[in-house]
Amino acid sequence: MAASNPQPAKGPAFSPQGELVLTRTFDARRELVFKVWTDPQHVAQWWGPTGFTTTVQEMDVRPGGKWRYSMRGPDGKDYPFNGEYVEVVAPERLVFVGTIHEVHDHKVWTEILFADNEGKTKITVRQLYSFESDATRGAPIGWSMQLDRLAKYLVAF
Amino acid sequence: MKMTASEHLTATFAALADPTRRAILARLSSGDAAVTELAAPFAMSLPAVSKHLKVLERAGLIARSREAQWRPCQLDAGPLKDVADWIEHYRRFWTESLDRLDDYLHELKANEKKRGRQ
Repeated sequence: MAASNPQPAKGPAFSPQGELVLTRTFDARRELVFKVWTDPQHVAQWWGPTGFTTTVQEMDVRPGGKWRYSMRGPDGKDYPFNGEYVEVVAPERLVFVGTIHEVHDHKVWTEILFADNEGKTKITVRQLYSFESDATRGAPIGWSMQLDRLAKYLVAF
Repeated sequence: MKMTASEHLTATFAALADPTRRAILARLSSGDAAVTELAAPFAMSLPAVSKHLKVLERAGLIARSREAQWRPCQLDAGPLKDVADWIEHYRRFWTESLDRLDDYLHELKANEKKRGRQ
């Protein structure tokens, strides 16, 4: 069933220099899981690592719509996290691109796929990272593979 | 010039963005090498290779001996570890957020059940 196996439609406009893929299965219907990802009242309840409190300042869930979160860390510091939705396909796919202000020009492309699995929901989080600057623009895709290899190499240290 | 941690990370990514420089690092991961040795696999002049080495050196990814006449290049994995740490930081972000999401969904379902019974 095509709807149960959503595929990302497009890729980021930048050349990724790092990649992270995680999957998790939740004991809840796909519609509910999608809802808690796309409703600001729900998002504020769970977004962010342990000890963080998230305030949703703006959240316009549609392609081209913007979101602005402020995450207060256990250190009392506020970490802004802004971005724009690229794709919103209920209840199967959410794609957004965010900007981190801690690091210059750092962009994060995030794809969340929601797959129905007999009443449970398997989500796949795929993030691609870019540190674009004049010097790095045009770096080849596939760099994430290289990074993986380097990471393996680092284990030997 | 002293760089901040994020400037270091940006410098590391900039240095790693070039395929020739990544190939040089890959070669150095199997042992120290002289510039001529590093230049051999590339259709590139020695000054061009030296330019790449300077970028890697500025990013702190390689060190060059000042004493030996042939100045061998040596890999320094420190900045690479920072890149790996950066990805790890995101992994933690998601693992903990998804844990919280799991708890929250359980809570929502429990509330739904309670309301259903009333």
